[in-house]
Amino acid sequence: MQLTIHAKGDKVNVLSHLLAKNPENLYERNHKGHIIRLFYDRFTDNEVEATIYAVPDPIVLTRDRANTYDITHYINDREFAVSSIFLSFIRSALSTGLNGLPKDEYREWVDHEFDYTFSFGPVSTSLKEKELEGLFGPLGFELSFMYPYGKGSPHYLVLKGKTTLQRGLRQLYVLIPVIDNYKHYYIDEKEREKLERYGEGWLSTHPQKSFIIQKALRFKELFAKMEESNINPKPVPSKDKVSLNVQRYERIIQIINAAEDKESIVDFGSGEGKLSTKLGFVNGVKEILAVEPSERETLKASKRFNEAASHNQFNMPQTIWGSLFYYDERLKHKDVMILCEVIEHIDIDRLKKVMDTILGQYQPKLLIITTPNSEYNERYDLGQHYRHEDHRFELTRTEFTSWCHERSHGYPYLCSISGIGDEDEKFGSPTQICVFEREEL
Amino acid sequence: MNITLPYTGIVLVIGPSGSGKTTLLTKLVEEGIIESTEITSSDAYRLAVGDTDFISWNQHPPDEADVLFHQYKNLAEEAFRMMDANIEARCRLNKTTFVDATHLQGEERNKYINLGHKYHLPVTAIVMDAKEETVLQRDLLRKQPRGKRRIKQQFQTFKKERKSLKKEGFSRVYFINEQEAENLQMSRNNHPLLIETGPGIDIIGDVHGCFAELMLLLEKLGYEKNDEGFYVHPFGRKFLSLGDIMSRGPSSLKTIQFFIKHVQNGFAYMIDSNHGWKIARWLDGRDVSLKHGDEKTAEEINRWLAELDEIHRESEKTKMREFLLNVPSHYIVIKNGIPVLVCTHAGIKDEFIGKQSKVISDFCRFGDTDGFDENNQPIRKDWFTHHRNGQLIVWGHDPKPQPLLVNNTINIDQGVVFGGKLTAYRFPEKTFTSIHALEDYAGEDQNPLIEWKAKRLDPPNIGNFIDGFKVLTENHGEVRIHADYVKPAIDLISTSTIPIEQLVYLPPTMSPVPIASKLEDYLEHPKEAIDYYRANGIPSLIAEKKHMGSRAVIFLFRNKEEGRKYTGIESLGTIYTRTGRRFFDKGTEENIVKQLNHDLHASNYFNQYGTDFVLLDAEIMPWNLKAKDLIKNQYEYVAHHALLDREMLQKKLSSALEYNSELQLWSKENEIKLSNARTFEQVFQKYCWEVKDTNSIQIAPFHILAHSHETLFHKSHQWHMEMNQQLASLSDLFVKTEYKLIDNESTEEEVIRWWEEMTRDGHEGIVIKPSDYIAKNKNKLIQPAIKVRGRKYLHIIYGMDYLLPENLQRLKERNTGKKQKLALNEFSLGIEGLNRFIAGESIERVHECVLGVLAMESDRIDPRL
Repeated sequence: MQLTIHAKGDKVNVLSHLLAKNPENLYERNHKGHIIRLFYDRFTDNEVEATIYAVPDPIVLTRDRANTYDITHYINDREFAVSSIFLSFIRSALSTGLNGLPKDEYREWVDHEFDYTFSFGPVSTSLKEKELEGLFGPLGFELSFMYPYGKGSPHYLVLKGKTTLQRGLRQLYVLIPVIDNYKHYYIDEKEREKLERYGEGWLSTHPQKSFIIQKALRFKELFAKMEESNINPKPVPSKDKVSLNVQRYERIIQIINAAEDKESIVDFGSGEGKLSTKLGFVNGVKEILAVEPSERETLKASKRFNEAASHNQFNMPQTIWGSLFYYDERLKHKDVMILCEVIEHIDIDRLKKVMDTILGQYQPKLLIITTPNSEYNERYDLGQHYRHEDHRFELTRTEFTSWCHERSHGYPYLCSISGIGDEDEKFGSPTQICVFEREEL
Repeated sequence: MNITLPYTGIVLVIGPSGSGKTTLLTKLVEEGIIESTEITSSDAYRLAVGDTDFISWNQHPPDEADVLFHQYKNLAEEAFRMMDANIEARCRLNKTTFVDATHLQGEERNKYINLGHKYHLPVTAIVMDAKEETVLQRDLLRKQPRGKRRIKQQFQTFKKERKSLKKEGFSRVYFINEQEAENLQMSRNNHPLLIETGPGIDIIGDVHGCFAELMLLLEKLGYEKNDEGFYVHPFGRKFLSLGDIMSRGPSSLKTIQFFIKHVQNGFAYMIDSNHGWKIARWLDGRDVSLKHGDEKTAEEINRWLAELDEIHRESEKTKMREFLLNVPSHYIVIKNGIPVLVCTHAGIKDEFIGKQSKVISDFCRFGDTDGFDENNQPIRKDWFTHHRNGQLIVWGHDPKPQPLLVNNTINIDQGVVFGGKLTAYRFPEKTFTSIHALEDYAGEDQNPLIEWKAKRLDPPNIGNFIDGFKVLTENHGEVRIHADYVKPAIDLISTSTIPIEQLVYLPPTMSPVPIASKLEDYLEHPKEAIDYYRANGIPSLIAEKKHMGSRAVIFLFRNKEEGRKYTGIESLGTIYTRTGRRFFDKGTEENIVKQLNHDLHASNYFNQYGTDFVLLDAEIMPWNLKAKDLIKNQYEYVAHHALLDREMLQKKLSSALEYNSELQLWSKENEIKLSNARTFEQVFQKYCWEVKDTNSIQIAPFHILAHSHETLFHKSHQWHMEMNQQLASLSDLFVKTEYKLIDNESTEEEVIRWWEEMTRDGHEGIVIKPSDYIAKNKNKLIQPAIKVRGRKYLHIIYGMDYLLPENLQRLKERNTGKKQKLALNEFSLGIEGLNRFIAGESIERVHECVLGVLAMESDRIDPRL
């Protein structure tokens, strides 16, 4: 990780004072085990070049950060890339320059413009050439770069422009974290202050201002605190999809409302708990078991349930860590069991056993299964693709019908199959639903 | 007068105010017979909640009296509410409580009788039968006299209620008059369900009249027949039967007589059971329907009784009946004063332990049943899933092919009468000893061992795992799996792995050399691995070349039908990763499995080894097959960063050297780092090559884990390596693994040289193993394998500059302790699970081992080890 500052111009040798670094000496400091060095390789009255680089201690670097149980943590570009880590390493070495506070006799040079070249690398960025230019161009820099190991590999960036040392450095301090594509970087309140301080005088008029702020702060909580008006909200998912989901829930609730027995309901694969929340408001339902194997989803579901709990009418679902591939005696003999958009996420050959467990052991009075109708995919223009990348299969109406009959064969259940969503004359509805009703023996 | 109080329960002391209740209890405390904390008195609770134990409303004008009366009524209500909560808590904890209150009203007493029923405890009544005159006199001496009228009122009630006391449902009622109260002798029973571990106890599963097997088992356990015909253990151990000693088998009578003799003479214990209870009731002349082999027992007994003269006939019959009726529902075994083990026949609830009642006896006899199935057989509920209290429960009743350890309970009924085994569980050793049945005596259509097999592939019960669980392994004792790691493992099984029925084994993790190399510029070196085994008393070792690819388990069936038979899935086989995921996409897998199946058939492998399948532990190359993204986004990407960084810096430093010669040092330093980056870039290239089709894939099997009739952990590693060479010769997909044996200093040096050469070339390294697959030192499992990775290879693990002295020095401080512990746990789980699979056990029992390994892999550990 290295930054070379090159400057040309009359009396440019004041740069050593602006940086507060003596050209006669090598500069070396130890910062928490990491070594920071600065040297000059040219120093004349009208041309100066200095390079500052860090030699990080790889062991300290990996020890002090989270993720220590992941192998990718130990072999990592952070040890090399010009990133916020590098900036924090060299911050104290460059503080005179950044703050514009050299000795009094050189104060007048702080705002003096020279022809500067800032070159630094390696840079790990996912931004395209155009995007990089969009960031540095408006600041008056001419940008060039090289990536000797191919397009997707790290870059070495060269910025040329007439500017002051302080302004140039401050712009780098804001923009380097913006172009760096590291995801795990911890952002705190200080980042926002830094952005406001270093961005003073140029950020507010930068055409990419919102992009810079968004990237620099990454998390929306902090982001929202910035007084920023013209940030586009995230695009909402297409209206069609939302309404299909809602239509599915509505149909399921309709079926439950019409059912004689509906005191106990199992929502299998309840995910983030949307359906279970709706079930919590259905009259006559006393127990809802939201079964899900994923901790992340379950946490989301619990949050959703707690939010809904502020309504008087809400019947709190119980989250159960469960899975279709295990037997769970708590799920036996319930009134309704629902697998809403669940089966298509399971290899179809594993489903036979799952259905045997449900129909043979759990024996719900009503089993409701919904799944996509693959014929309707034509309308979505999906080609050979499934609707979701995790789908293991999608069935046509004929396939689903015969699947339902095969699975319930030998069990006292009656199947009734229909569609949910806009019906296409040729392809049917986007979602198919089968209600298995247990016959009294 | 003598009164013996039960060891637990509620004792109501009944009588009007001043009849001597408190006096009696105080005396008992003074005599040390009861503890003061065992007494609960309504007076004390009135004081506690209302600062006074009595409010008198006599001699007040009506308006005041009315208020005072209500005050007292409220005070009494609150006091009783508190007192009853306390008594109920004590009942839950199985404590004795002496209740000091008048208890004059039937409904008051009834409340405690119901409480006793609810918590399965006896409720005893001690009635203070004092005279009215005496009590009236005593009242005058009280600090707060209750008053003549009140006492008289109480006596009226007392006289009325006194008669019905005996019929109210108390387990015992004692009346104590004034004289008796003076010289009352009171004592307390010991807990009848507690037994001491002593020199040891051998718990024996359901015998069902298999007398011959019982004798063989006792002999195997070390019991010897003494001159009086008793089977006695030289160390004084005792045996304990879990009941069902009779019925179905050939010698029920002999077995019953054997136990009567041994139990009554203090050499053995026995507990109640469903068959024992049935026979006892039959002997008692009850109208019971004799079936499930009880008719055979009855026949035997009848024949025997018929041969006796009339006097003996009755006395023998009574003796047998009394014996069977009086055996306790369960026993609790004490170790170091702590009740650690519970023996029951069919099951028990935690809250029943240490208590006795009809309900508890029934539960212990029959277990938790959930109605009956179409064959009128009880549907058994898994009562043990709710067991939480830390005690180990040993039970029988429900035949399983192997001792079943679930949730700190062990079933040791291995169905000897159905042709299975008779098992003994030795305590405190916690080991099993068993005898195979000489034949299937029951010969019934409904053989539970066969039914067990039919249910083998039923989905595992999630309740047995979700809160954490323990697996009892043959080689490494109990392995505990913490709940925090189970949940992510179940998530993986539900979303990412191959079906549970096919996922019968997961390979263990492997520790690197336990101590870093003493050589200055090495982190790992074979020397320390060899030393580890030498220190553990292992004379001969094997060193196998470690391939750098991805670990895989390969399950190959003779044909699809066999696949269905063993896993319920019609398939020629499957190949999965060390986390249970399908190794290839389905199409590629099918091609490779098909080819391997063809090659194995072509060389007659299945017939040669008489097996329906082979399960292989292997490494599949090249590395980039599975790690393509990791290589591109991680290793290659980082290599390019380092190269760019260090090359650019080198240029700048070189050019600045002219200006400042002091830069020499920095320049030198960077030059070394640049060369490290170049080494790093080369290392991983060696493990990668382009894969056009299956011909580019290499599979190196190094363990032949199992054939359908046996696991192959008893074979030496040399045998496994020879099998590897054989496999390599029969299929183009299989490759040979080089190996060398280490049994003396010269072969040791040879292996070190070999390792140095190959790792200089960039090969990953070697694995050093004891020659035995399962190696122990002083009966303790030692590391089954230790990896020794090469200097070059370790660049991609510890970073490109790891060999710089300042880095290496610190890296050498690594600790492999946890890794070694995990390796042993996972290794023993793997063997256990596969042994269970080969023994035809339920997939749930196999799965608990697999899930255990998967869960352990989410444990937090330095991934560089």
